[in-house]
Parts: sequence; structure tokens; C-alpha cells
Amino acid sequence: MSQRKRAVTASQSKTKRRSQVSLDEDDEDANFSQITSSQVQRAREHFTTDQLDRKVAEVVQFILIKDQKKIPIRRADIGKHVIKEYKAIYSEIINRVCRKFDQVFGLKLVEIDPKNHIYILINKLEPVNGEPVSMRPGNPKTGLLFVILSVIFMKGGVIKENLVWNTLKKLRVDPGEKHDEFGDVKKVVTDEFVRQKYLEYVKIPHTEPVEYEFRWGLRAEKEVSKLKLLEFVGELFDQDPQSWTQQFREASAAETSS
Amino acid sequence: MSDSRRRSRGSQEESAGTSNGLGGRNRSERACDMGDEDDTGAGPSAISEEDDDPTHRREIRSKYRDLINHVQQNREDMLNPANNKLTDVLEEANKLFANVSRAREAALDAQLLVLATDIGKEKASQLRAEGSAFDPSAFTEHLLSFMGLNRFEDESGQDGNLEGYLPQSAWQRLAKRSEFCFKTAPSFHYILGSFLAEPPPLRQRVERQRKAPSKEAKRMMPTQLKKMEESNLEATEREVERILQCLRKYFAHDPKEPISYYKFVIDPNSFSRTVENIFHMSFLIRDGLVKMNLDKYGLPCIAPVKKGEVELGRAAVRHQCVISINQETWREIIDAFDIKGAFIPPSEVLSQEG
Repeated sequence: MSQRKRAVTASQSKTKRRSQVSLDEDDEDANFSQITSSQVQRAREHFTTDQLDRKVAEVVQFILIKDQKKIPIRRADIGKHVIKEYKAIYSEIINRVCRKFDQVFGLKLVEIDPKNHIYILINKLEPVNGEPVSMRPGNPKTGLLFVILSVIFMKGGVIKENLVWNTLKKLRVDPGEKHDEFGDVKKVVTDEFVRQKYLEYVKIPHTEPVEYEFRWGLRAEKEVSKLKLLEFVGELFDQDPQSWTQQFREASAAETSS
Repeated sequence: MSDSRRRSRGSQEESAGTSNGLGGRNRSERACDMGDEDDTGAGPSAISEEDDDPTHRREIRSKYRDLINHVQQNREDMLNPANNKLTDVLEEANKLFANVSRAREAALDAQLLVLATDIGKEKASQLRAEGSAFDPSAFTEHLLSFMGLNRFEDESGQDGNLEGYLPQSAWQRLAKRSEFCFKTAPSFHYILGSFLAEPPPLRQRVERQRKAPSKEAKRMMPTQLKKMEESNLEATEREVERILQCLRKYFAHDPKEPISYYKFVIDPNSFSRTVENIFHMSFLIRDGLVKMNLDKYGLPCIAPVKKGEVELGRAAVRHQCVISINQETWREIIDAFDIKGAFIPPSEVLSQEG
């Protein structure tokens, strides 16, 4: 296998390496799906309630720490670092973990990508009108993210990257310069927000020079209320949110489904 | 042949209709046209002399490239739903295509078509929104106002937003209001901070305190020690030496007569000096420089030792005795021996005491 890697060109080897990595991940992940129900039953009897509770607590801690950076958590990582030999009863553990988050912390563990098994933590409680969301000072990046998400949403869900940069420039945030609050703006938007799955930054095919477009990321779909967003936009424009009929329809639909 | 092509294209243009349309070129028609061109010298679709001319073909290619550049540079303009510039471009391209007979020029035509299609798609997507349009520029203006932009008095149209003072807390304000739209889980942090953070700061503080006094102490020590050393050891040595000289001088007077110990050490004017004399004398005896013996009356006498008389350091028969004296005894001796004056003159240093 390694000899084959050496023989290919640099770019090819990169993709090969990537696929090799994902293969390992899939192997890790595959362990989850290959378990039969009888295996689960036997495994469940094998571990005591104390052991199970301890594992559940460990998973909860693991997820809480991983969530600090807001980068979604992969099931493979949970398996590799925490659950290890308890993989057979993974689903039971996860169920208990979800319940713990729900009842103790008021948080929801959501699988944003059922295919790749990626989780995020979101708040179970809705922010109440008039009351501040948290006592801590606001993170300016939230404002930046809001601007970008709003423009994407109001423009139908996909926009060219130039529209984002032009909009930000009008707000005195230039991706070409270092910003006082955000630093390397381009990196924050195209790397940090994308890794956190707030945004998707996708290449447009057939463009020369290469152009990218922005969409809402999987995390944004679950974490952001389109209706509340539209309401704020309405406030800014001093307009009834319903005047944007298409967006309003989409926002209402999203609200009921969540 | 070219005539027939133009005719078919003409009919297509008529059916195009809408001003926002793509100019409706039938792709399959074009495909078979291209197929014909590629067959060099294969029957009735043979290429005419005119089409083969390299200069002519270069012209066509250059015109195509101009068109492509024009579209790329003025993309925003093309997108504007208020004009038909896109259709104009396509009509231009159509005209050019009439003269195309080779694959190379046709490829450029295809490239132009991809561009035009892209723009057409975007233009169409702009149309789909019913209800209010969304203007990002107006959006930013409203955002700046919300964030607390202080516009200057004389704001002039578009540039009014580039001037004006945006306060430090601008993005904070926006963040606080935006948070509301998110269901973000609060980040988990230990309230008490990390356990490991405590010890290092303490250690530093202690070290610093320790360092300070030791530095000063060191500085003081050398000077103090020097003084002490001088006053103690050297002074004693000097005194001992002085007394020895004194004794030798007296003895030189009368070498046969040993000197009475008491008469020598006692100072009738100062008890403390007497004690010191006894103290210093003991050194001389210890070092074998002075010998002491009892005379016929049983009273101690001393005499300096001549150089060769006794070997220093020889384990000779050692006698030890302890002499003590108190003020009463001192006065008694003075009376008994009728000592009028001190044999050992007091030194200048010691005269400070007493």
C-alpha cells in the first residue's frame, strides 16, 4: 500500500491519503453498524450499570469539551477516545447521553449529518423576547456571521463570494486587510465558519478564475432560526417581514419542522 | 450552404420572443453543423475557399474573444434585469457564427455560450423572487445605523457611509442583538478555572521575596566582618606581641632576676586591664614564649624563653592551671605587693575601654 502511494504524483497521493484516512474513519465507524442485536444484548449484560453510567458521564464530558470550539463532533472520535470497548452498546449510551443533556443541561445533541454521523450541541431553550441571551459580552463574530447568513438567506440560499466581500467592505470589514476585531477576516469566514459548519464555501464549476459560492452550513440550519433572522431584518428595514413573501414562507416552514 | 444555415437560424430567432430569453439556439442543430465542418473534403458539405482563409478565420476568433472579454468584464451589467445586453451579445455571436466553419472557432463560440448560459441562469434566478426585493447595499446602511454610526453633517449620497465614525462597541451591539436568532449552546468552562494554574504564581512570589533580603545581607556582611576581625583577632595578637616586648625589655634590665607574675600583670588603676593582661599572658605561656615557675616563696614568676631553650611544639610536660581573679583579690594583691604602677603600659586602643 505504501509503495503504491510513493509511485503516484503529489496531487494524487494527497487524495489517496485523504481517502485512506476516511477509510480508517469508516473502519472505526463501521464497527458501529456491524453489530447485531444479539451482540448488543450480550454486551449490555456484560457491563454493570455503574460502568454504563460512568461511560455515559465520560461521553457527556467529552462532548462538552469538544463543543467549546464549536467544531462538530464525529461519532468516530467518540468511539475512539471514549467508548472504546463499549462500542457494542453505543446506541444505548448515546440515548442516555442525549437524555442527560436534555434533562441536566437543557441542551440538544443533534446529528446534523446522518450519513457521516456528525453531532452538534444546541440550546434546547429558545431565547425569550426582551431578555438577554447570556450575561457574557457578545462575541463580535456572531454579528459577522449574522450578516453573512442574512444576505445568503434573503438572496435565495446561494450567493457568490463577491457579494459577501462587497457587503462586508461596506461595513468596513475588508478581507484584504487585518481587522481590529476579527483579524484575518477571510480566514474567519472561509475557514473557521466553514469548519464549524455555519457556512459552506463551495467551488463553482467552469469558472476561470475559480469562484466560490456561499451557502448555509449544516449547523446553521439547525442552530439559527430563519424566522427570528427575518424579523430582525424587518426591524432594520422598518418593514413587515411578511413583505418578503418567499423568505417568509421558507422561514415559517423551517420553524415548524425544527 | 451558408445561406441555408442563416435561414434556419433566422427562424429560430423569430421564435425566441421574450426579451429576457437566451436567444434560443438549438443545440442539436449547432452540433450537426459542427459535424459537417469537421469533415474536410467529404462530399457535398465540403468547405469553400472563403471559409478556409486564415486571415478571415483569425478575424472571427479575435471578435469572439472580444465578445467573451466584454461579457466577463461587464458581468454585473449583463445581470441587470433592466437591460437586454445579454440578448445583444447573443445576437452578435449568432452573426459571427454564420462565418464559422472550423472547430477552433466553434470552440470559442461554445465558450461564449457557456458564459452566456451562466449569466442567463443568474438573471432568471433574480426573477423568481416574488414580493420585495432585497438590496444588500440598503441592508448595510441599516446595519451601520443600528451599530451606531455617527454620520457627518454633510453626508453626500453613496459616500455617506464610508465617512462617519463607527464606535468601538459597534460589532458588540450587533452581536448582542444577533445572538437572539441563534440557539447556541453555551460553551462549557470550569467555573474555577484550570486546576494546574495555581502553584506557579505562588512560587514566583516566594522566590522574589527570598532573593531580596539575601542580596542586602551579603552586601553588609563583608564590611562588618572586616571590622570585627580587626578588632578581635588582630588586636589580641598585637597586644600579646606588645606584652612580650614589654617583658623582654624588663628582663633585659636584670636577666638573672625573674619577674613576679603578679607584679607584672596587675594594673592597679584598672581591673579590666588586669584581666586582659592575664589573658594575653596566657597566650605567651601557651606558645612557649614565656615560662612560669614558682620561686622560693611559692609565688609565680615569669621569664621570657630564650630562643633555643625550649622547642616549640615539642610534646613537653604540660601543666595547666586556671587563674581566676576577682576585684577583691585584685585589691588584696595590690595591697600585698604594694603595687604602685602598672608594669604593662596601657595601649591606646584599649584605653578607650575601662
